[in-house]
Amino acid sequence: MRNLLLVTVLFSPALFAAQSSEVERGAYLARAADCVACHSTDDSAPYAGGLPLESPFGTIYGTNITPDKEFGIGNYTADDFYNAVAHGKRADGANLYPAMPYTSYHLIKREDSDAIYAFLMTLEPINRPAPETSLSFPFNLRFGLSFWNMLYGSELQLAPTTGKSEQWQRGEYLVEVLGHCGECHTPRNVAGAMQQDKTLQGGVILGYLAPSLKAEDLLARGWNSEDLATFMAHGISDQGSMFNEMYPVLHHSTQYLSLGDHQAMATYLLGEQPGPSAVISTQPLATLSESAQRGRQDYLNLCAGCHAAEGQGVPHVAVAMRGNTTLRQADSRNLLRVIDDGIAEQQFTGFERMQPMPGFADQLDDGQLRDLLNYLRQTWGGLPEDMTAPQVSELRSQKGH
Amino acid sequence: MAKRPLTLQINGKLVGPLEVPDDLMMIEFLHEYLNLTGSRLGCGQGICRACVLILDKPDGTSEEVRTCITGAHFFNGKQVRTIEGLAQRDASGAVSQMSPVQQKFVEHFSFQCSYCTPGYVNAATIMVEKLQRQPVKRSELEQEIEAALGQHICRCTGYVRYYQAAKAVVEELGLVREG
Amino acid sequence: MSRLEISRRRFLQSSVIAGISITLAPLGSKAFAALFEAQVTAAPQPWFGPNRTARFRIDGVSKACGEKVFARDIRAMDMPGWPQQQGHAMLLKATNVDQLYAGLDLSMLGPQLQPDRIVTAQDLQQDGIAWPESHGPDPLLPEGQVAMFYGHPVALLIWKDYERFREAKGLLKYNQQAVRYGVKAPRYQTDPYGSFRYVRVGGVDAFAPDTFSSLKDSMLFPIIRQRKPVWSQQALINGDLTEQGLYYAGQMLQQLQSPPDDWLVFDEQYKTQSVEPAALEADNGNGWYDPQSKTLHFVVATQCPFEVAEQTAHMLAPSRFAVEKLNMHPGYTVGYGSKYNNIFVFYAALAAMYGDGTPIRLANDRYEQFQSGIKRHAFDMHYQLAVNKQDQTFQIMRTEMSLDGGGRANYSSSVAAVGATAAQSIYYFPQSDMAATAYHSCGVEAGSMRGYGTLQSMAATEMMVDDVAERLGVDAIELRRKNMLRSGMKNTQGAIPAGALRLGELLDKAAAHELWRDRVARKQRMDQEDPDNLYGVGFAIVQKDFGTGAEAPMASVEFTADGQVKLRQIAIDMGTGMATSQALLVADFIGQPAHEIRTGETEWPELGLITSGNPYIISQADQDTNLRNPRWVGKLASASSATNSSYFSGHATREAARVLFNHGLWPAALSIWGQGIYGGAANPYVLRREDAHWVDGSLTANGMQPLPFAQLAKKAHELGLVTGASVHGFNRWAWAEAEFEINSALDRVPLDALAVKYGEGAAPDKRALMTTAGYHLLDRRSVKYPDTQLNNAMVTYYSPVATLVEVKVNKGTGAVKVLNHHSWLECGRVIVPELVLGQLEGGIAMGIGHALLEELPLYEGGPGDGTWNFNRYQLPRASDVAVWQQTAEILPPLSASDPAKGIAEVVMIPVVGAIVNAVAQATGKRLRELPLSPARIKEALNG
Repeated sequence: MRNLLLVTVLFSPALFAAQSSEVERGAYLARAADCVACHSTDDSAPYAGGLPLESPFGTIYGTNITPDKEFGIGNYTADDFYNAVAHGKRADGANLYPAMPYTSYHLIKREDSDAIYAFLMTLEPINRPAPETSLSFPFNLRFGLSFWNMLYGSELQLAPTTGKSEQWQRGEYLVEVLGHCGECHTPRNVAGAMQQDKTLQGGVILGYLAPSLKAEDLLARGWNSEDLATFMAHGISDQGSMFNEMYPVLHHSTQYLSLGDHQAMATYLLGEQPGPSAVISTQPLATLSESAQRGRQDYLNLCAGCHAAEGQGVPHVAVAMRGNTTLRQADSRNLLRVIDDGIAEQQFTGFERMQPMPGFADQLDDGQLRDLLNYLRQTWGGLPEDMTAPQVSELRSQKGH
Repeated sequence: MAKRPLTLQINGKLVGPLEVPDDLMMIEFLHEYLNLTGSRLGCGQGICRACVLILDKPDGTSEEVRTCITGAHFFNGKQVRTIEGLAQRDASGAVSQMSPVQQKFVEHFSFQCSYCTPGYVNAATIMVEKLQRQPVKRSELEQEIEAALGQHICRCTGYVRYYQAAKAVVEELGLVREG
Repeated sequence: MSRLEISRRRFLQSSVIAGISITLAPLGSKAFAALFEAQVTAAPQPWFGPNRTARFRIDGVSKACGEKVFARDIRAMDMPGWPQQQGHAMLLKATNVDQLYAGLDLSMLGPQLQPDRIVTAQDLQQDGIAWPESHGPDPLLPEGQVAMFYGHPVALLIWKDYERFREAKGLLKYNQQAVRYGVKAPRYQTDPYGSFRYVRVGGVDAFAPDTFSSLKDSMLFPIIRQRKPVWSQQALINGDLTEQGLYYAGQMLQQLQSPPDDWLVFDEQYKTQSVEPAALEADNGNGWYDPQSKTLHFVVATQCPFEVAEQTAHMLAPSRFAVEKLNMHPGYTVGYGSKYNNIFVFYAALAAMYGDGTPIRLANDRYEQFQSGIKRHAFDMHYQLAVNKQDQTFQIMRTEMSLDGGGRANYSSSVAAVGATAAQSIYYFPQSDMAATAYHSCGVEAGSMRGYGTLQSMAATEMMVDDVAERLGVDAIELRRKNMLRSGMKNTQGAIPAGALRLGELLDKAAAHELWRDRVARKQRMDQEDPDNLYGVGFAIVQKDFGTGAEAPMASVEFTADGQVKLRQIAIDMGTGMATSQALLVADFIGQPAHEIRTGETEWPELGLITSGNPYIISQADQDTNLRNPRWVGKLASASSATNSSYFSGHATREAARVLFNHGLWPAALSIWGQGIYGGAANPYVLRREDAHWVDGSLTANGMQPLPFAQLAKKAHELGLVTGASVHGFNRWAWAEAEFEINSALDRVPLDALAVKYGEGAAPDKRALMTTAGYHLLDRRSVKYPDTQLNNAMVTYYSPVATLVEVKVNKGTGAVKVLNHHSWLECGRVIVPELVLGQLEGGIAMGIGHALLEELPLYEGGPGDGTWNFNRYQLPRASDVAVWQQTAEILPPLSASDPAKGIAEVVMIPVVGAIVNAVAQATGKRLRELPLSPARIKEALNG
């Protein structure tokens, strides 16, 4: 017995070192995979669950994945954990709803899953249950997902990596698998599965557009590699700021990743040799449509107080209209949503913090909103065509959450 | 900058038409064109609420509007009240009777330097008028006050007496129902 | 405490400074109203109630109705006699401290929007503007020099109309092209602003004479070499005072480094952050220079109107403008210190001078206020404390503090001194060595801000004592009790604090409070019920000084024959409500609060005062010599700062009122009571002045018929008794005293100047004495001034506050939420309870902001770049301060004769220490760097 203990003692430092670095690795990977965003609420202990996720099928609650033996994953093995993350299978055999993005995590490396598992096991167990998810019939029948999983569970493919740099490959893994960007940025079919033939070409989530991340679309919207990396790191760049569902991505995930990883993601999305990003010059008022010219005064009345009369914004306070990526989206639903609903107060990195943007739904009727959208799109968005009144009403009626 | 005509009703009186730059903020219009300086500039960026006036809407409800980030022309054809118009005044302009909200703030020593006070008076006035249309449940009274006043910044008082006074005026006017 | 240099000057009866005559008519005053026919808002109801209580603030109605009470509210058209047109100005500032300033480029404005006047360093020099030395050098950065700090102004731009001003400003804001830079240059450097060291070794016990102390012996001042304080002297027990001090300091350090076995030595570093006072009224001034009458009319926001008037006059006197008259109009204002000794006012005065006959307004927006408004920057404090483990008594406290003093000297030196001497908080140390140095940096200008260094040092001490209690395994309040100062013990400078120290009472109450008693059980329960958060309770107690060590209050009280009472006060009301409390204090001796009060009054021709020298450094010999002139006083006038209104301003108000009682109302009463045959109803009784009482506004004594004040006032006038008194006092940690002969009676009073008025019925020979602006100016006799050595006491007036706070710390975000807090305050006599409690509530909110929310980068990316506002600088909101739950208790005074002690700063401090201590109980981690931002807490929880 003493000999065994001695051996253990001799072994331990190295083991500890290996273990603690696996835990550190796991902590980092958990950030990249952004587990905490769905497995915590705004004021819960980390990973203690409780976040309601609105889906077309009802409300799904993020579970408690602290190592609590009663309400968390304290009884999980590393295998159980991998099964849940990569295949959507709970330790008791039930299916997880694909709100858990196992369809993207499907290609997670085993050692990465183990590292995240090791990290989670070091956390303080929180003895509190997350609310039970109970969807309406038939979606409450989890076994039905087995069929769905057969069809869609393993569909995610990674593009061939031959000839691609290590940085590109790393970026692919971060974007497609850990970052699970496709879960929002890929359109879904009627069964709610990602359409793998349209990967990262844009999706609509709860009334907001997660825009296309295809290289040519990013370039058209004014992105370049450096700014995209900055955007990941700080949530703010010349092209605008992260808001709505993208903000938690910064808050919980991308701000903690390394510069190398930000660059890798930018390289993957824009390509190793990206083309030039589109420069859109500001159009003078006189050249705009009648509707857009009318919209100018509403811009001055309601927007210019923060975004400035000529759209230059206020540094650290309000983004500029010039160069703003959201204005360049041909599908203007995001622009319409933020004008109607506003944006909550957001803490970015370091000292950066933006006050709430008010929502102007009550101040603008459909006609005024149309004029304002046209003013913004035409002046700074490089989108010369007017939106029509039916288009605006239609978009407006699709409420966000 | 282009100029446009602006006409509106302030404290019951018609103002304008006045030719005013199209990008002028309302607080600039109040201060530099009408010499109504009671709506105070605290941050000028829509955060502190010292600048708010009362916008009276056609449906009979009112809301506070931040004059520092809202264009003057937004109010074209609209009706607003500023702090200067809330108390009753005699022919010479002296205050003869404060509004119930003003009276309560004074009795409760609710302010110290008073730079933020006009904003608080306006916000509390809107709340009181809302409760006059529909009284609040006692169990929700504190929340109601927090919703009305919680965004206003005060650097002197620590907020306690503003809140206590708001409670007192609501109770005294009988705007609390049980529940 | 002010280190303001007061240069030699005369203050003559006609209020002329440097050849410029000055008048002051504060906004909202009757004097101001008299300038034009504008209506001063009168309260529809009387502001005071029965029994000398205030029903509401005297200025309440004007403020609640949005009247123009702030200087910022004024436009040219509001001022009588001013041109109607209002011009506007702005300052362009350098935001680069690494390259030489290479001039302006305003071409982006185009021809239409060019300023009507640009003022640069060259203009100031050519025009002979004598910028106040204490606010220099280089108010406008000359070309070819590097900026001294971020936000150093380079030019003053003036437009004569609003529309072009606003359009131009819109183009200039955030524009990187307007201010041009040339070659790289080394950053501006200069010597530290001040360095101080206070060494004390007590005697055989706490009450015996000290072996060595600042008061008994000397403060220690290092020399500055290579921009750092160094000690060139030796440590010698038999050397000069500095050498002795160094010897004892050396002994202490040795003891700390090789302590006996039964000592615990605590050794940690505490850091604070750069903070912004954030008064909602930003710096502003509006002035019109009338070249015809050579008069500068100046509306300005300031806490020290007197100094501003004098310094502005001195600045303009030698210039080509040939100014002859200065009319100043200070408004109601707010500053928390930031409008005291503030350079801004001089830029505003210049804007008026260069306005070419148009009134010009210079008013910071919030971005500009962040960029140039006075800050309080970071403290870096090394704290060492030796404790006897056997009986838990403190043995030695040693601290070395470095202050970032920002870009100009301002008051940072003084803040360092005050911070060092406050670090002891409520404790007695047999030995102590406290040192502090304020350094220049390229940060925004720093100066006076609520707390004045004691916030930083005392909060840290409270964190330390709590930590030490944990290391010793003893109750944190018990440990405090064991070591608290008791009445008669000495502070770290060797001075004895004033009056009774009631710290034990505060500690007892806190220890008995259920929050403290049950904190362990409560934490267990709360942590279990709410596993997302960590629960904790924390305590702290401090006592803070009030007064600057050179206070010079002035007041004047008089009553008319029909019973109207008027009070004039030099102090300014910056929201504290002092106008109300001073008006009430008059009733102490007159039975009747003042009906009318004028604050910010700086015309005192009836006292004819002069001064010279600096009260902090004047030699005893010079002071003695100067005092032979009955008009000479150690300092002319106090500013409104250093929490000085209730005690110091109150002293002047009460002494003036007391003179009226003793020499006006009391003799009038005796006359009425003694009417009739054989001394009337008074004769059978023994009447003593000390037995007189005011009851419901009427005077009675020894069973005599109560006489209403109005009746007495009428009688006093009829008999030509004293019906008005103007007084001046001087305090250097004790009051100057003198004898004055009033109506053949010799009175010894705590004043150094006194002038009286006699009633309407006074005989011609009496009337003939009133030759000084309608007053009879008396010559003092046997004046006794506090010794100059008392300057080394640094502080003797204290008010204590203790706070218990309950917090929860979120495990996910690291955010701290204040759930509840309870405070105890001892301030002697309370004049208006609502005003005192209001200060406590507001101070605690500011303290919560300081502990949890407020922070600025010091240099790059900091407010000097002109982009900061309240989105990034988080001020506490109602939801942050436990607005509904909080409670407080003011201890009753010992007796009715307690003085009214100042509390406006101390109220902010214990909550900071208490929060840090609460977080320690909650998380098990002692954080030593403020603020306790979520990021810092998360780091502590995870690492």
